[in-house]
Amino acid sequence: MSIIRIPTPLRQYAGGNASIDVNGGTVGEALGDLTTQYPDLRNHLYDGDQLRSFVNIYLNQEDIRYLDGADTALQGNETLLIVPSIAGG
Amino acid sequence: MLTLPSDLTQQIEQHGIDAYPYEGCGLLLGQHNETGNVVVAIRPMQNVWPVESEKPERFRIDEKEWLSAEFEAMHDGLDIVGIFHSHPDHPAMASPRDLAWASWPGYSYLITEIRGGKALANRSWQLSHDRSGFVEEEIAIVTIVVSS
Repeated sequence: MSIIRIPTPLRQYAGGNASIDVNGGTVGEALGDLTTQYPDLRNHLYDGDQLRSFVNIYLNQEDIRYLDGADTALQGNETLLIVPSIAGG
Repeated sequence: MLTLPSDLTQQIEQHGIDAYPYEGCGLLLGQHNETGNVVVAIRPMQNVWPVESEKPERFRIDEKEWLSAEFEAMHDGLDIVGIFHSHPDHPAMASPRDLAWASWPGYSYLITEIRGGKALANRSWQLSHDRSGFVEEEIAIVTIVVSS
């Protein structure tokens, strides 16, 4: 069981929870479990099958893009963070 | 509704003035309650948009700085409830670029119009739930009185 911390604005789609316990042997599976538990999150995290470009997932303060991406292995006691890239004009 | 202390409003406007003619940006920290987002602190951030000549019309916040701010906010019992940025010589309306790069409904996107180095207007926007556009939200500027 790992934990995904939910950013403040997404808690409205996650039953008001600040963190969610998830199952999965990889980051991708953990995110899949998250959106299975709370389907309304999916549109705000994914564009089709891909994470939206502004959505960053951190494991132990490391961007998973610099690890093995969605295939990054989880031992089952980690905390994942969802961090947005913010830009505009 | 976005509730914003008057002293923080002045700091946000000054940040936009100091950044002029570039866009300035930062984070709104506080809590979300039944009235909406209530700001109790701000954290000015660097505009790290990679092309210097485009900074009058673009901004970007570094993800590592965001992460650091998020940990500090958690430590202080606060949440990131929004983002502020300035529009140099343009109205304080959410732009097509703001929409294209918008993150999540629930964050307040506070925009300050800076003209000729002066702050003219503040307007706040939230992304709609279907992500199709920004909807303006009311701003309540409040004066905090500290009792002795």
